[in-house]
Amino acid sequence: MALPSPSRLVFGGLVATAFTLMLAPVVTVMVISVFRQEIVSFPPSGFTLRWYLNAWDRQEFARGFISSLQVASLATLIGVPLGTAAALALVRSGMRGGAAISTLLLGPLAVPGVVAGTALYMFYLRAEFWLDRDITSTLQGLVAAHVLLTIPWTVRLVTASLQGMDRAAEEAAANLGARPFTVFRRVTLPAMRPGIIAACLFSFIQSFENLELSLLLVGPGRTTLPVAMLNYLEFRVDPTLAAVATVQILLVAVLLLVTDRFVSIARTV
Amino acid sequence: MAALVLPASLLVLLLLVAPMLLLFRISLNEFSPTQMMVEATSAANYLRAVQDPYYRQVLLTTLAVATGSTLLALGLGFPTAYWLARMQGRWKSLATITVLFPLLVGNVVRAAGWLALLGNGGAINATLLGLGLIAAPLPLLYNTGAVVAGIVAVVLPYMVLTLSAVIEGIPRQTEEAAANLGARPMTVFRRVVLPQALPGVAAGSVLVFVLCMNTYASAVLLGGPQFKMMAPAVYDQFVRGNNWPFGAALAFILLGITLVLTVAGSAALGRRYRC
Repeated sequence: MALPSPSRLVFGGLVATAFTLMLAPVVTVMVISVFRQEIVSFPPSGFTLRWYLNAWDRQEFARGFISSLQVASLATLIGVPLGTAAALALVRSGMRGGAAISTLLLGPLAVPGVVAGTALYMFYLRAEFWLDRDITSTLQGLVAAHVLLTIPWTVRLVTASLQGMDRAAEEAAANLGARPFTVFRRVTLPAMRPGIIAACLFSFIQSFENLELSLLLVGPGRTTLPVAMLNYLEFRVDPTLAAVATVQILLVAVLLLVTDRFVSIARTV
Repeated sequence: MAALVLPASLLVLLLLVAPMLLLFRISLNEFSPTQMMVEATSAANYLRAVQDPYYRQVLLTTLAVATGSTLLALGLGFPTAYWLARMQGRWKSLATITVLFPLLVGNVVRAAGWLALLGNGGAINATLLGLGLIAAPLPLLYNTGAVVAGIVAVVLPYMVLTLSAVIEGIPRQTEEAAANLGARPMTVFRRVVLPQALPGVAAGSVLVFVLCMNTYASAVLLGGPQFKMMAPAVYDQFVRGNNWPFGAALAFILLGITLVLTVAGSAALGRRYRC
């Protein structure tokens, strides 16, 4: 067998380095979360699952987890239908100014999270003054901000699935006597389904893990999980924090696997 | 039908465009230690952001880190994207999901991983100490290198996925033809693959550079208190300094650089390649 050529070796080395950089932090966190000793050190003196209970006992993590679940679910439930409707109109109505509107709807992706977050914070403070009610550090305020994250992803993914669809199928259904709503329900909607499912996945995850947009909008009574983790990490990293991070990693993995049963993720992105 | 875009558009107008306009208005105000904010129309905050040595340094650090990280991500991402694009069948979707997965795991989670790897008691130092290769832990954390490693890890999936989409569109026969005509692998890459992949290189680099410019978690957690980039500097003005007008000006400088690059990048692409 011939020795691999130098350029093949370099190529393989670069690919291996890229995968190591991407995966090493994720794997390390998962491994540390089951170490028995509290101060992170190697080799471990044994393995335990008690840090997971410990993490749940810490209010900031338990509350942050529930809060993030609520915010991400509500933001997805509101944002995906809005984004889907917009994508349908953009692709199908052939309206004038469609390009401008699609730029507007993708805007939340172009504005840096910290910038959008500070702008919303100022806006909320102003609105609180006018409306005389709390908006910052409330569930509603956070959900409204996170809906903003879900719209560009939904518009992008649903638009892609609509553009790949053959319109002849809709015309055929109409010719065979289906009424417009039936055509939509039996032909158009199924064609949009992969886009919508992928949009739900991305929206939920984007919202669940969002840090920058939420930083200024959380408050003492309501913190999201990533913000709680950031505050903790500024002082130390220990197995308890690693356990919280691992739960988040597993949640993403489960969502990916479940979604992959319905649509091929590798082909959607 | 067209009315269906209204709810989403109104929402973005209310929650993004209106707040941005308000933030811009605030950036023209003046800061007063007693009243916090005085109505004004001046560019003083913007001038201070580029003239004050501290903030100029923050901006320069951010630009340098973003440039370095983008180049590294390109160097590592291109071979990986090529490898991914030329894969077939089941393995390909598995590899794609392996690249996508870290992207979906939050930045804070990955920063926690780097802390556990690079810290004084972390995996790398503990292994080296255990093998007797070093006598005291190496200071791997709280420096520019740690921040760059953290950022590159965060942006690599974006680079790889953008590039591999473009490389997949390059007909394999062009490479085979060049090889048959006697070109060595490096020459095939330089003369055949790279020129055809340039739109992807440009798109990926612009996307990644913008992400790097806006880094928050990696900069705060891996850089330590002395290390400052733009996004944390903006946040600090609102939380610690309470100087809203100056914070708003910093935010708009960051946004300006981001938008100019994005627009310039897509314009350059549109003119040359129409894709």
